[in-house]
Amino acid sequence: MEKPKLAIIGVGEVPTGRYPQRSSWDIIYDVSLQAVASAGIDKNDIEGVITVAPQAQPRLTSEISFGKIPEELGLRGCKDVCICNAGGASTTNCLRLAEQWINSGIARIVLIPHVTVQSTMNLQEVISFFGTAGMDLQWEYPFGTTYNAIMGMVMQRYMHETGTSTEELASVVVALRKWAALDPNSMFYKKPLSLEDVLSSKMVSAPLHSRECNVLADGGGAMIVTSAEIASTITDSPAYKLGHGARYVGACSVLRKDFLVREGWREAASDALDQAGLTKDDIDIFEFYGAYPVNQCVMLEAVGVCEVGKAGKFIMEGHTSPGGKVPCATIGDAVGRGHTGSGVSMANYIECARQLMGLAGERQVPGCNYVLATAAGGSGMNATVTIWGRKIA
Amino acid sequence: MSGYEKPLPVVQSWSQEFWQAARQHILLIQKCNECGVNIFYPRRNCPDCWSHNLGWSKASGKGSVFSYSVTMAGVEERFAQDLPYVLALVDLAEGVRLMTNIVDCKPEDVFIGMDVEVAFRDVTDEFSLPMFRPCRKE
Repeated sequence: MEKPKLAIIGVGEVPTGRYPQRSSWDIIYDVSLQAVASAGIDKNDIEGVITVAPQAQPRLTSEISFGKIPEELGLRGCKDVCICNAGGASTTNCLRLAEQWINSGIARIVLIPHVTVQSTMNLQEVISFFGTAGMDLQWEYPFGTTYNAIMGMVMQRYMHETGTSTEELASVVVALRKWAALDPNSMFYKKPLSLEDVLSSKMVSAPLHSRECNVLADGGGAMIVTSAEIASTITDSPAYKLGHGARYVGACSVLRKDFLVREGWREAASDALDQAGLTKDDIDIFEFYGAYPVNQCVMLEAVGVCEVGKAGKFIMEGHTSPGGKVPCATIGDAVGRGHTGSGVSMANYIECARQLMGLAGERQVPGCNYVLATAAGGSGMNATVTIWGRKIA
Repeated sequence: MSGYEKPLPVVQSWSQEFWQAARQHILLIQKCNECGVNIFYPRRNCPDCWSHNLGWSKASGKGSVFSYSVTMAGVEERFAQDLPYVLALVDLAEGVRLMTNIVDCKPEDVFIGMDVEVAFRDVTDEFSLPMFRPCRKE
């Protein structure tokens, strides 16, 4: 494999939930200060700020786009700023851009923050936002699209093709909420769910139950990243980016030949593992960001842990849960974390770093050396896979 | 027909013909006159060969359900009156897939592979939306 070019050296995060009194800028201060402290650097060592676009907040997006963060935080060493928007894959793009800045000499150390505040938006506003974001205004939205309705169709098709049962899919939520119950930064900390809780919840977009849908939340996170060389001089426990792969799938779900995106995930994962010089058997945790439970199944099949159609049973047997042989989504994915706009992938990458740094508390997977993380944008426009490691493979 | 509050299609210059025909309850499929491919959704240039020489053919209006969901909650107020409604992907005989609603049947009677035919709904003076209803296979 090639030498890694990027490493995470510090992370910061606020708990998800509804905190209307906590402003976006409070969160930006909190996560940035935490990340700098955890990296053990000075704020003025930060030479670049690349932010995840808070796309449901156009005014905040505008302020951040035009350079407010370094000024507000007094980052005296900052040389440039940028914002990335690819929905749920925004953080992935922040990391890619940071890698380019670091390796081309623009910035040695980059701060990547994210913030979302949805609790101050009214419910209809939020529903309209998610009914149109990532949807086609001519060919999809007039028919009443919501993310839940689209994912209901994905789930229906998956069940039809694989024979996976309602109970098996509901068990995905149970597994995710077991992880979330161990996560002090989750709105569902210490709140596991039973299979019955999921199955008895109301139908939202059948076959999708309400407990299989995401709860919108406020949240924020930040990472400090630098080159692998600098990382090793600053900390004993960097999380190295070892491999990366991506596939574009398509904006409009009607045009996706790979409707479940299983092939997209398979190919992206294969590229990422090849680049890292690893195989799926080397991976200690699969940090799948699937946004909806069915995608955990699709991804397990895509990376080859389960045969097609067997993932639901595998998850129901507890193998992906805390203590299981194939830990998956150790913050509980969006269902377990609360949906923070484009922030779930940020939370997912932060968790990769925590697990590799040995800082994951009750969720810590012992001897964790390699983690595979996924991220996608929109209703599934792309599939990105990143391999992170505690050591260079 | 006034007072329709739900979102109307945001039309592009090269999709106008589709919506004009839809108003006449005719389902058009765009076709590339160079490479012959059927195109959905309509484009300015063929997505396969980039030819600008595109035309239209009248679709059979028959297809089958690729997938669907039955939405019962969590929608904008202007869609609330329609609950429950079936959002579906329909594969047309012409080899293209479109997003639509399945109408004129109980949501619980819809299934993947169900044969359907186009059933236009006149929603305003300008727009008829192509929805689909169950039909017998011919």
